[in-house]
Amino acid sequence: MSDIKCTHCHIEFNQDVMIKEGNLNFCCNGCQGVYHLLKDDGLDSFYDKMGNNTIAPPLKIEDDVNKFDRESFENKYIKIDSSGNKKIDLIMEGIHCAACIWLNEKILYDTDGILEVNINFTNNKAVIRWNPNIITLSKIISKIRSIGYNAYPYDKNIKEEKATKAKKDYFIKMMVAVFVSLNIMMIGVAKYTGFFTGIDDEILNAIHIAEFFLATPVLFYSGSVFFRGAYFGLKNKIINMDLLVASGATLAYIYSIYVMFGGVGHSYFDSVAMIITFILVGKYLEVIGKKNAVDTLDTIKSQIPTDAVVIKDDNKVNISVDEIAEGDIIELKAGEKASVDGEVISGSATFDESSISGESMPVVKTNDSKIFGGTINIDSVIRYKATSDFEHSTLNNIVTLIEDSLASKPNIENRANELSKSFSISILSIALFTFLGWYFYLGNFEDALINSISVIIIACPCALALATPMASLIGISWLAQKKLLFKESKYLETMAKATTVVFDKTGTLTNGKLNVNSKSLKKLSEYELNLIYSISDSSTHPISLAVKKDLEKEYNTSLISYNLENFETIPGKGIKATYKDKNIVAGNLELIKDNGIDFNIDSNMSLFIVAINNDVVTTFELEDTIKNDTIQTIEYLKDNNLNIVMLTGDNEKVASKIAKEIGIIEYCANMTPIDKANYLQKLKSNGEIIVMVGDGINDAPALAIADISIAMGSGADVSIGLSDIVILDNSLQGIIDSFIISKRTYKFIKQNLGISLVYNIVTIPLAVMGYVIPLVAALSMSLSSLLVVGNSLRIKNK
Amino acid sequence: MNGVLIMELIFGLILSMIVLAVMVWGAKSGQFDDGEKQNSGLLFDSPDDLNDAINRDNKKKKEKRNKK
Repeated sequence: MSDIKCTHCHIEFNQDVMIKEGNLNFCCNGCQGVYHLLKDDGLDSFYDKMGNNTIAPPLKIEDDVNKFDRESFENKYIKIDSSGNKKIDLIMEGIHCAACIWLNEKILYDTDGILEVNINFTNNKAVIRWNPNIITLSKIISKIRSIGYNAYPYDKNIKEEKATKAKKDYFIKMMVAVFVSLNIMMIGVAKYTGFFTGIDDEILNAIHIAEFFLATPVLFYSGSVFFRGAYFGLKNKIINMDLLVASGATLAYIYSIYVMFGGVGHSYFDSVAMIITFILVGKYLEVIGKKNAVDTLDTIKSQIPTDAVVIKDDNKVNISVDEIAEGDIIELKAGEKASVDGEVISGSATFDESSISGESMPVVKTNDSKIFGGTINIDSVIRYKATSDFEHSTLNNIVTLIEDSLASKPNIENRANELSKSFSISILSIALFTFLGWYFYLGNFEDALINSISVIIIACPCALALATPMASLIGISWLAQKKLLFKESKYLETMAKATTVVFDKTGTLTNGKLNVNSKSLKKLSEYELNLIYSISDSSTHPISLAVKKDLEKEYNTSLISYNLENFETIPGKGIKATYKDKNIVAGNLELIKDNGIDFNIDSNMSLFIVAINNDVVTTFELEDTIKNDTIQTIEYLKDNNLNIVMLTGDNEKVASKIAKEIGIIEYCANMTPIDKANYLQKLKSNGEIIVMVGDGINDAPALAIADISIAMGSGADVSIGLSDIVILDNSLQGIIDSFIISKRTYKFIKQNLGISLVYNIVTIPLAVMGYVIPLVAALSMSLSSLLVVGNSLRIKNK
Repeated sequence: MNGVLIMELIFGLILSMIVLAVMVWGAKSGQFDDGEKQNSGLLFDSPDDLNDAINRDNKKKKEKRNKK
């Protein structure tokens, strides 16, 4: 059986399951529908723009689109401008490539009544403006859904606007600094060459003036960041690195102006521009990190349901989630997400609790069962009583926890920052004393000024500022080659200092998929095998899917899936169906016994027992398997004296089995996301430096608290967005590599700091004693930077 | 000779300031806000796409005029 691509989504499927239409092949009706819609609207150039990218098949969305037109929704999410036009901020779902952006923008722009559409590819946020007299929001959302995408509203808050503005502001400043520095360096080549070959005074003056015009915007516009930082530092009685950078750059600038007009000596406009530029680039990367965190938080918040159906006096009333009070009776239909916590009062349904527990096995909820906000009702209508309002619900607690953690995420202060406080005060004091000493000794203001400027410039924190970033840059690029994405260089240092590693189980230590461990197949006829295959094919439950996959693997092309009748799902137990004169029952032991079939089995794995006409014909035992490199990774961590903990939402039996298999002693089972977060908080208060490894949205609160959070590349987008490190190839070997490279890089960071400190200890006294003129100070400053860069390049040589 | 060099310097400075001003304008008008979209811009330069862009601009201008 060969695989062929779906004409719409480009994902490959077995050709037998495809819907054929002439030369076209579709994996589902959704893709077929969207393809024809695009073709009819003349939008098939979408497929050219898509290239070889794949997209997700169209989403099946069950909820009521009219909720977007309700007053409660409008009050919360829609803004109205002075002309009466409406605007909304949305997060788009299903965007995979630029072609998706093009398609959505095109189809919306071509719709009457829509005035403006802007979809951001980086964070999938969209802004739509429309004329409410011509079109409604529900129609706009329907339009988006008709082409296979979806959109959720989100509340654009002040935090996001601040983060966006800060990012833009820094970007422009950095752009000016980099552009100008490049130009100044080009002019500088002429100037420095002239020192050796000779240069006309007229040309030298012209170069000075040109450098002055270029350096001025860099110092006062791009460098305003440091002036502001220095000012606020002084206001709080702190002397920080900003003050050193600002004062060093300003003094060099002022002295250079003096040289420009006085005509004697050398100017340092190029040094001014480059100091500001290098350090500003580092600050910009920090700002981007903060913006990404805000975007990720907005994505989490957009997953929160906006309204709920509440039963008041036997009537169904649709209200906003904020209005739900404790004690309200809420009706939840199949496919809907619970907005608040509660207890079931009527009906029974299977719930997908993976967003809370991380485990993919659906859980049956009946009378008095607890419902958690954020979990999804899979199959039946239920009514439940709210045990909290939205503000105090599990879902909101998770979001608040993440929000708080992001805002106060602790940094391990790197050595340069620790040293810079006392370093800055010391250097400024030394420079002042140098000036005063020389002024009273020589009585010459110019010489005193030159010597004190030499002290500041030679001690200027270039090497100190570069010591960490340079080594980090090399370390980060090395890690990237090994498919490890460190979002900020400071995580290298934190990783090197880590004391405890906490693992999520499913999807991190294990593959996260059920596999058939064993099956007992009596001598079965082809007909019986086909019946087993048919019943496993009739359900989307993970156990059924795993059994079906196993049978297909073993029997290849020879299996046939019959059209079963009287199909019935028994939540939490299994499935039943009939085919001609055969009654088929498939599921766990409880289901078999409930049907009066006499059968027993002793197993601690998930079971899929199949009985045909009350006779058990086969038993499948399934379990999640550990990854190939799990044991090796745990061994490495143990050899390096790291504490290891496993936290899981799964039950004690399964957790204990896996922990024993991989050699982990400390583990906790049945953990909710809040439990995991509290556990990490406790470890932190004991002084542990924690690395947390996870993959699901249920890990998000714990990942936000950990000192270093590592997400698997295949994990939930939310976890990847929140994590500090992403292992792109999902291999646990990545954790070993992260530790090895981080430790080596941190060793070189310490060496670099040593080099820059030794350099300062040697050169500052020389500058104080007047043996160093500012030119030499600037050149030796560059030399110290080169030394640090050169040493950093040795990191990869082993 | 010196005069020529100085003129070249001045001209170069003016040109680079113009380029910088254009880049700053681009950044302030939001053209660099979405880096990934910008990088994919190559996909959207067919005559149809360019006509669409003009139509959208005209739509915005018309709306501004109606507002006034």
